[in-house]
Amino acid sequence: MKQERSVENAVLAGPIVLFLLAILGFPTLLSLVYGFSETTFQTLTTPEFSGLKNFRDVTADPTFWQAAWFSLRFGAITAVLQCALGLALAVYLAPLVRRHGWTVAILIIPMIVAPAMMGLMYRLVLHEFAGPLPHYMYSWFGWSPSFLGPANVFKTLVVAETLQWTPFAFLLFLTAFQSIPDDLREAAAVDGTRPWRLFWKIELPLMMPTVFVALFIRFIDGFRVFDNIYTLVGAGPGGSTTSMSIYIYETFLRRGEIGKAMAAAILLFVSAFVILALAQRLMRRRTP
Amino acid sequence: MKPRLTLRWIVFAIAAFVMNFPVLATLVTAFKSSGEVSRNPSLWIEAPTLENFATVLTISDRLNVYHYLWNSLAAALIGSVLPMIVAFPMAWAMVRRGYGRAILFPLVVNLRALPLIIFAIPLYMMYATLGLLDTRLGLGLLLAIVNLPLALMLLVNAVAEIPVELEEAAHMDGARLPRLLFKVVLPLCRPALITTFVFGFITAWNEFLFGLMLTTREAVPMTVGASFFFATSGGGVQWGTASAVMVVAALPPLLLGLIMYRRITGSMVAGAVKG
Amino acid sequence: MAEIRIENLNKSFGAVSVIKDVSLTIPDGDFCVFVGPSGCGKSTLLRLIAGLESATSGRIVIDGRDVTALEPYDRHLSMVFQSYALYPHMTVKENIAFALRTAKTPEAAIAEKVAKAARILRLESYLDRKPGALSGGQRQRVAIGRAIVREPKAFLFDEPLSNLDAALRADTRVEIASLHKSLAATMIYVTHDQIEAMTLADRIVVLNEGQIMQVGTPRELYERPANVFVAQFLGSPKMNILPARAAEGMIVLPGSSSRLAAPAGWGGLVAAGLRAEDCTVTGPDNGVLSGIVVVSEYHGAAQQLLVDTDACGRISAFTTADRDLRVGDRVGLDFATEKLHPFDGGGVRLA
Repeated sequence: MKQERSVENAVLAGPIVLFLLAILGFPTLLSLVYGFSETTFQTLTTPEFSGLKNFRDVTADPTFWQAAWFSLRFGAITAVLQCALGLALAVYLAPLVRRHGWTVAILIIPMIVAPAMMGLMYRLVLHEFAGPLPHYMYSWFGWSPSFLGPANVFKTLVVAETLQWTPFAFLLFLTAFQSIPDDLREAAAVDGTRPWRLFWKIELPLMMPTVFVALFIRFIDGFRVFDNIYTLVGAGPGGSTTSMSIYIYETFLRRGEIGKAMAAAILLFVSAFVILALAQRLMRRRTP
Repeated sequence: MKPRLTLRWIVFAIAAFVMNFPVLATLVTAFKSSGEVSRNPSLWIEAPTLENFATVLTISDRLNVYHYLWNSLAAALIGSVLPMIVAFPMAWAMVRRGYGRAILFPLVVNLRALPLIIFAIPLYMMYATLGLLDTRLGLGLLLAIVNLPLALMLLVNAVAEIPVELEEAAHMDGARLPRLLFKVVLPLCRPALITTFVFGFITAWNEFLFGLMLTTREAVPMTVGASFFFATSGGGVQWGTASAVMVVAALPPLLLGLIMYRRITGSMVAGAVKG
Repeated sequence: MAEIRIENLNKSFGAVSVIKDVSLTIPDGDFCVFVGPSGCGKSTLLRLIAGLESATSGRIVIDGRDVTALEPYDRHLSMVFQSYALYPHMTVKENIAFALRTAKTPEAAIAEKVAKAARILRLESYLDRKPGALSGGQRQRVAIGRAIVREPKAFLFDEPLSNLDAALRADTRVEIASLHKSLAATMIYVTHDQIEAMTLADRIVVLNEGQIMQVGTPRELYERPANVFVAQFLGSPKMNILPARAAEGMIVLPGSSSRLAAPAGWGGLVAAGLRAEDCTVTGPDNGVLSGIVVVSEYHGAAQQLLVDTDACGRISAFTTADRDLRVGDRVGLDFATEKLHPFDGGGVRLA
């Protein structure tokens, strides 16, 4: 009986384990090899061991640190904005959604559109001559900022990212809000609690776990941002919108510095891993 | 006590308009003639026309939209179905036997939080040696990795929701493991499988980075193809045609998503809670 | 159909021992009921027999074959679950036929058996429905139908009636009893409801804390409980336990001047059990004991009293309803020696 079980377990786990080993295990090994060696696209098959040189190169590269700072800032700011906006919308629109479920479908359209497409769409929206936004700015205020200029590009990207992914936060909060039992609200109402106090003292505390989850997921997604920035502005004016993902991509494909790109990827992996572990520990403590 | 909805309708309309503004602008522009685009950037169409779509849907040297669509479809199908196939038996073993719960489950789930670029480079190297660069299969395999965490989480949740008595009853009825899995567990997981598929297909279709790095000509997916269209058109982008390309590119996941929006809302939540 | 024999069975979950050295033989064709308070191990014992749990030690023998190491699907038993466990994605017909299809029975034979089961259980008009469209009682019958078509070696029932309302429960109980008669099959039935146990069983197994307290027919258990646990578990209200002693051939009851002769073998008497219906309510000065009525419940046909006797504690007793005794009335309680159940210091029956 026992032995039969372990054979069965192996068969059940087989496909996923093989798949993971093939698609992730081998490349991980490769990345370690290349991360510690000197390689170009011409010498792919004969990497030359170079120790920590790649890591020294990366950490000495100011662009790397700029990219890291950009990603951190971008992730943190967009996460907070999306969650604040999503929470407000979810709580305020919940009665509407309850009666007219289709309204949710309209609000989640942005997150069904590919981020890369969204970046391209903003090219149109913000275009000096063809874009509707500058057009309306001019006709109403007689003036329009240079949205993608060095002074504004970061803000523009933050707004674009926020508008695309606020629906995600909205959905999470909406579900959390709807899963609060109505009799809690009724009990509070009978006790004389007014809506504002109901929100702060009962609804929000009950939604706190979801707030943490949403902040975390949105931060991670903002931190690793690539598609929409790449299609909208690329590395941006003077490389000012180089996120970590774009930095690694450019180092690898544009400049062909394989070892350095790999070293940066390994550093990114380690930091992402640390953030992940910390966040999970935090969440576990919050929800015993 | 009916909450008044009028003000909420207004807030909803504003939120929907602002968040969907780029989509709306693109949709509008796609129906403008090239002459009108340069003259009239507003959201109002003076003379609606289908000429942009006609251009897009005609095969030319610059753009073969059918090729991109077919690449995206094939890769997205592989990328959404394969994770379900490999995750289903594992999900059952995790729930019912606790097998792989300690290591494999957190490992796979945390994949979701890692920047994809980390894997893109070593995979590029591996694909270069295996001849998988610029193939639909190669792209599909990677998209499968992207979708694997959600597939596993959704299926684990689905199996955990099946009352264990049902499986015990099947055991008592003489069913061995394969029959149990395929005749009892699998049909009961159908809602979760549909959700996983919908969400996985949309994610795979919308993926950009892997498409950009791992394909060059033959297997270029729609998202990357659309960006090529912008890049190759040099200084003067044909905004009308470009918009029509984007509409075509965004339409398949959008249709699927809007038809199945209840599934998406469900899976977002299930996927996030365990995150 | 088969005899089921359990030998020195033990089951522990981690450090917690749930079944402790249980041995039991259930003869072929017997209707055996496992009864006990919740957590007593009755369901675990059933699941061990089914093969849904594996034994820590000991043997289970079905029809002369040691099945201890076999998976459930190799034991050829049927089980009806508390939650019915009907496959929600299959119709009633497919549910009933599932086990037969698993065993690769020819379709013609399947159709015939399903039709027969449907006829017995009055399910003919529901065969193409899904379980979700059935009432609780109908689901229950489908679950039974699924069990009987297989012609198993024995039927196992895990609290099958507890999800039904009171009226339906009584009806279904009768149906299960007649099913047992017509199939003449070995059945094991787990319940916490003593009425189900008493009415259905050929043989009751009373369990407590993973051990068998007593095995016997309902009448044996009720009339000669082997220990205080069984005595108090069966019967309603709970059997009264009086702090009686035996001295010089007499039964001594605290607070009583009556002298009752103690039968032979009652020397170690520490407690005497007395059922409410064996206790007659008399005038305050006539009984063996006397006390004050503290609770009086009118049951229609009878009146149930709780009488505080001070030295002997509170005693339940039945009396006719026309007496109209009220709280605060002083009454006497009378009973015959042969109605007393003698127990020693360990709660075990004497003589």
